[in-house]
Amino acid sequence: MANVVPVDEFATGEWYPGYKPEHFEMPWIVDPASPFKPGDEQGFWFLDFHWSRGLTPLAATLWSGDGYCWGTQHAAESLPLPPGRGVTARFAGTHLYGCALPETDPREIGARANRIATNLPHFLQNYRSIWEGGRDELESTWSYFRGVDFAGTPDLSDLLGQGRRYHKRAMEIHFGVMYPMLANFLGFYGACADMGINPNEIGKFLQGEDTKIMETDRELDRLAARARQLGIADVFDTHEPHELRAALGRHGGAASQWLTEFDDFLQIYGWRAEATCDVGVPSWIEDNAIALGLVKTFLKRPEDHDFEAAARNAMAEREEAIDTARSGLTKEEQAVFDAGLESNQAANFPWWQDDHNYYIDLKVMLPLRWGCQELARRENADNKDDMLYLFWPELMDVASGRKPYQGELKSLVAERRQYFDHWHAKRSEMPKVLGTIPEAVEDPILIEIFGLNPQSIRAVQNPDAKSQTVLQGVAAAKGTARGTARVLQSSDELHRLEPGSILVCESTSPNWTPAFGKIAGAVCDGGGMLSHAAIVGREYGVPTVTATGVATFSIGDGDEIEVDGTTGTVTVLTKAADRAPASEAAAGDGAQRSSTIGSVVG
Amino acid sequence: MTSPDPTTTPVIWVDETDPTTAIELGGSKMGRLSELLRSGVQVPDGFAVTTGAYLRHCAETGLDAKIDAIISRLGEQAPEAEVEAASAEIRGLFVDTPMSDELTTTLTDAYEELCLRAVDVNVPVAVRSSATGEDAADASFAGIFDTYLGVSGIERVLDAVRNCWGSLFTARALAYRLRKGISHHAMPIAVGVIELIHARASGVAFSVHPVTGKADRIVIETSWGWGEAIVQGLVDPDHVEVGKADGRVLRYDVAHKRIVSAFDFAVGAVTEIDMPAKLADRQVLDSEQISAIASAVRAIEEHYGHPVDVEWVIGRHRRAGDPVCIVQTRPVTVTSSAEEAAPAAYDPVALAQKYLFSGKPIPGR
Repeated sequence: MANVVPVDEFATGEWYPGYKPEHFEMPWIVDPASPFKPGDEQGFWFLDFHWSRGLTPLAATLWSGDGYCWGTQHAAESLPLPPGRGVTARFAGTHLYGCALPETDPREIGARANRIATNLPHFLQNYRSIWEGGRDELESTWSYFRGVDFAGTPDLSDLLGQGRRYHKRAMEIHFGVMYPMLANFLGFYGACADMGINPNEIGKFLQGEDTKIMETDRELDRLAARARQLGIADVFDTHEPHELRAALGRHGGAASQWLTEFDDFLQIYGWRAEATCDVGVPSWIEDNAIALGLVKTFLKRPEDHDFEAAARNAMAEREEAIDTARSGLTKEEQAVFDAGLESNQAANFPWWQDDHNYYIDLKVMLPLRWGCQELARRENADNKDDMLYLFWPELMDVASGRKPYQGELKSLVAERRQYFDHWHAKRSEMPKVLGTIPEAVEDPILIEIFGLNPQSIRAVQNPDAKSQTVLQGVAAAKGTARGTARVLQSSDELHRLEPGSILVCESTSPNWTPAFGKIAGAVCDGGGMLSHAAIVGREYGVPTVTATGVATFSIGDGDEIEVDGTTGTVTVLTKAADRAPASEAAAGDGAQRSSTIGSVVG
Repeated sequence: MTSPDPTTTPVIWVDETDPTTAIELGGSKMGRLSELLRSGVQVPDGFAVTTGAYLRHCAETGLDAKIDAIISRLGEQAPEAEVEAASAEIRGLFVDTPMSDELTTTLTDAYEELCLRAVDVNVPVAVRSSATGEDAADASFAGIFDTYLGVSGIERVLDAVRNCWGSLFTARALAYRLRKGISHHAMPIAVGVIELIHARASGVAFSVHPVTGKADRIVIETSWGWGEAIVQGLVDPDHVEVGKADGRVLRYDVAHKRIVSAFDFAVGAVTEIDMPAKLADRQVLDSEQISAIASAVRAIEEHYGHPVDVEWVIGRHRRAGDPVCIVQTRPVTVTSSAEEAAPAAYDPVALAQKYLFSGKPIPGR
């Protein structure tokens, strides 16, 4: 019998102060987004690791509305996925839960299977033109926004409307490409596993292709090397990231030269937000401290990371993995494997999964953020991010001049900030799953991106997860490491990592990459063989275990733990509370951390 | 050669009988050996004590009437205990009923002839039941009748033959025939007396994967010594997979082999003993031997036109390049379902359906 976790606690009808259902009226395909409602326990809801900070009203609108309830549902209908209709969203406070929408009518499933039989091969044959066409379309719109003078545009509501259309279109393209690529990849994965290929090897077959994200990391590393060369590394060493810009400016000379080069770098790579698809966080251009902090991290490494050697190793490892796998296959199986590999190398999902972030996930919210900040300026708002605490209809009212930003609306925003902070502090206690929990899921995004495999689904249901000392997950990057666990809620806390720390988090995304240069191991609640942490863990040689389901729950900050990335096992050796006083002091900085969200969002 | 009269020919030789007659008189097991020999496969020398000999023995000694009397007491739904008691009673009759002098002489002559051919005294033989009748090739009867390995000397051979006859009435065989309404008269038993190959290594081989049914590979399981410990599941054997199309070794898993079937000179039979420690973890087959086994299996499958499993032996004196010796073969008892068959081409839609949209976890995840 299926286990049911009630949703009642969150289905109270209460949400952000001043929320009305019409605030969330927007087009959807199969099921609309909303706060949790009675009856929702019939679905299987998973806490979405992408937004561990929580989402402001506008950020909640953009992702749940355009991402899940338009983008995934649109793509799942148009491919279509035979047994699934995409993902829908609910909110518990500021925290987003996703749920795959099943198709249950057997006749309909059959009809959908017939359609995918035509559409998937068509997609794979035309993959390059479909993805590159979509990407170029988005880049073209992006260029348009870069050319817009926001301050000089009289009608901001029109501009915000354009920004919203760009965002929504990006989500159509995102999932329109992602679903068929994933279906192809997971079919190949299943075939490989069935042919007796070690599943841990399959990820390697497709590794080693350069991405825009890796390119950014290389450029950051080059800037770090340049700082060393210019003799200004100590400036980085003696200042916190938010002080660095001013400190470098004061230093003058070589530091000014470096800042010029840094700004050139930002003009190409700095139009990326600090988190995936969250209008609530700034870009590197807006907040230089993020990128400067990354350079500071790179400088802490004893020697420069040899990206070329890493790329060569990745390619060599890839070729060796392919040769080993092929040698165990019959001639007939080799034919299937070779064709599958060719298809997946042409439409390389693991590569795309990293590369697309540069064009979509880290970028397409920015024009809306700029529009909101310009509106805040015009309305003399107290904070430049006030508008991010409005729902879309409220924002349109303010932008079109129908409703001034003052009085009631202003105080609502103040209350909503408190609401955000309240729920931000509750993140670590949020249930990982809610509703009716199945044994297995079929939506490829849930399987591959969220790591919802049968084992992790069992793990999140363990009533004793809090006290469990051995966790099992996906063996994502081989090797063993012991160290002090640093349990991070979001990339805002990356500064708490020390050389040799073991990173424990819900999941990582591209902005976490530089941290892998100093940590000894990594453990994630979600993800799989091809999630960000797995790929980067392999690239940096950091033992990594993903899809444990409950690591952030079972492992405490400061615990002494062991990560075995070869077997996928994580063991808590000593709880922080039981450790020697000296170690407790080290763990203390975690306990003292306050909500850093204000400084980032504000 | 002329077709011998089944009622009067008590002995036929593997190499002197045409396969059709061999199956008719010598049962499926012996018949297939004749057939394999004809098709160029190396098999051990030996002869069959025919069904005619068995039938005549039962008729002349009055066994028939006694057996029928015991069986007639059993209903179709006879309880297990009654069937077992009847089985024990009948098998006791076979042990206690000596062969006629005439048959004893014939078998003694045949055994001496086999010793002469092997240039050996009291040559050790395998005495194997060889069933007849429509169901004989059926998997249901696999391993149901007795086999004695390493029987040496005519007295022991004669005892083993009578024990094999009796094994037509094991409790399992009796129960099966009662349930199916088959008379034991419809499936008289023959017995093979075959030179025992002095085994360095032996094992089984399948022309398709016995579990998944994949037809693109040959699967070999092997251990040191004779194959009994493998057939009876007493030892965890080395597992080898070979591509059928190109003969490449796809995998070789060396097992920790704890038991070995070895010849016990004191008892005069092959028995199971502990594997010497130094052999337990050693790889049994080299690539030349694997290739010889694979080519025999391929030839046998081609000859029959359907998947087969075989028991094979590598004799102590086999040299590289020699064929391996096949001691038994039968149609494979696993059929591959269409779903499990290896895919013929990379079909992303079919694979997504199979692994992603089937409601089952993706293998390996």
